[in-house]
Amino acid sequence: MTPLLALSDPLTPVALAHFLITSGGLFVIGLVGFLTRRNMIVMFLCTELMFQAAALAMIAFGAYHLDPSGQVFVIFILTVAAAEAALALGLVVFLYRRRETLSAEAWSELHE
Amino acid sequence: MAEKLWFVIPELILFGGAVIVSVLGLSPRRVIREQLPLITCVFLAIAFIATPIVYSVERVDLATGLLPELGRYVKMSVCLIGVLLAMLSVGLIDRRLEGDLGSGRVPFDALRTSRGEYYAFFLLSLIGVMLCCSANDLIWLFLALELTSLPTYIMVAMSRGSRKAQEASVKYFFLGAMAAAVFLYGFALLYGATGTIELTAMQSIFREQRLAGDLNPVALVGLILAILGVSFKIAAAPMHFYAADVYEGAASSVTAFLGFVPKAAGMIALIALLATVGWGAEGLPQPIVTTLWMMAVLTMTLGNIGALLQRSVKRMLAYSSIAHSGYMLIGIIAGPGLGVNAVLFYLLVYGLMNTGAFGVLAGLERQGQEIETLEDLAGLRQRHPAMAWAMALCAGSLLGFPPLLGFIGKLYLFIAGVEAGQLPLVVIAAINSAISAWYYLMLVGMPILASPSPRSETIVRTPAAWPRVAALLTAIAVVVLPVFAQRLLDGAAQATEGMVDATNEQEPRGG
Repeated sequence: MTPLLALSDPLTPVALAHFLITSGGLFVIGLVGFLTRRNMIVMFLCTELMFQAAALAMIAFGAYHLDPSGQVFVIFILTVAAAEAALALGLVVFLYRRRETLSAEAWSELHE
Repeated sequence: MAEKLWFVIPELILFGGAVIVSVLGLSPRRVIREQLPLITCVFLAIAFIATPIVYSVERVDLATGLLPELGRYVKMSVCLIGVLLAMLSVGLIDRRLEGDLGSGRVPFDALRTSRGEYYAFFLLSLIGVMLCCSANDLIWLFLALELTSLPTYIMVAMSRGSRKAQEASVKYFFLGAMAAAVFLYGFALLYGATGTIELTAMQSIFREQRLAGDLNPVALVGLILAILGVSFKIAAAPMHFYAADVYEGAASSVTAFLGFVPKAAGMIALIALLATVGWGAEGLPQPIVTTLWMMAVLTMTLGNIGALLQRSVKRMLAYSSIAHSGYMLIGIIAGPGLGVNAVLFYLLVYGLMNTGAFGVLAGLERQGQEIETLEDLAGLRQRHPAMAWAMALCAGSLLGFPPLLGFIGKLYLFIAGVEAGQLPLVVIAAINSAISAWYYLMLVGMPILASPSPRSETIVRTPAAWPRVAALLTAIAVVVLPVFAQRLLDGAAQATEGMVDATNEQEPRGG
């Protein structure tokens, strides 16, 4: 299989490590942000960050293995992320019309 | 490629149905809008009939996927329960709008109706589950899981006009997106460790790695992340906490949907992912077994203890749904052969019992509101005997009371666990079943034995009769199907045949 990107040499392990550290950092920042922030737009951005961290890892691994399927996967990830963004923004607008706030804490009717 | 397309014909049929239903939902004629659940059921029935034709012996023999046989059983079960779930949702969507239209208070506006979209999303989500079992690469599996989940977020939001439903939808969506990112990252690491996204190729690479020594640690971390992410779909610990809130917020018929459809998709994804690690002579790698073991114990314990503390019937059933995921994980740990057969069988069994219990809740109402507390059910037998008995039978079956269907499902799971040497796990599960008896027996006893309370006197039937028909059908199935349990189990065993051949380990029991 010829790679989609014209990479003649695979990524070196050191370069791969750089990509993976960046991607891992993005993922952790996203996760921590998701758990600590209460603004719904910011929470959604954090999940997007986690998605993009996975996408970055996919591309890096694809270049490391000289295999195009990682890049193909990323195209699908972007599509799904776009679908989720549409859904998230729709929900957020819908909620804002009801409550005039974007804080997740304003929504606490359901509990034990 | 063309052979692969054969296997998605049932999905294509349902997709056609989704398109037709979403267009017909815009019709200004009330008669047509009222037929949407029927049209949905017709397409599900066509897909049900098409599945065994598509999965003919010759075609399955030529198929190259990881689990070629799985589709026949899963797709037929999904269509069957899909029909019941569609019956449950009759009269739910746009109820007030349809009432206003009927009395002529408001003119028809196609932008305000959402019935068509609801049934389209309903079918799309079922397509997602079906696609899960045809998955042979990570992209397909990821897209199938997302296709299962994304429509359910919208279905929760549109199920009721109340604020609770919207809150439930927001919680469900945000946690779902986070869980999706977690298993996606797991998929990225799996790809990195193997250099392929194809599950079959991954399986052989893992086998070589394990023959040479240990599994690549990157792959191990990836698998664990993927399992944790998927545990959201099956409402297993540590991603179970959303279940009670979301199940309470959504309308009962959508809750029944949430209890079965994402759970089926998650279980199939787990089976596919774990099948790549081999499940061979060495069994699963120890860290994976430990993770699953802890998940199973935590899930069933937290689920059952949580259910004990509830007065709301829907929250109780939500926690019971968590606990049942824990029982199913026993089968996943037990591995191919008995274990996976028992999981597939239990999925069908649980889908039926769950639909029946929520069908009772969807078929009755109190001053236009859903039934909430246990007191509402008290003495139901005097005014609505059929619903009372349906609730009692489904709750008894969820408990695993012999000779009901749930007992047989649980028995096979426990046998599989014991045969796989997981005796402590089975003992914990048995203790949990005993704990669960307390609240299930309340669900049996309240409608049948208790005397009516002032609250339960005011309970009336919903205008649409179909949810009650579905509840009665499942109650009958719960009693009658144990007779055919062996045939169903043979179907499940056939579904995992490829897996057993590949790993060459346990022989499926049956015959």
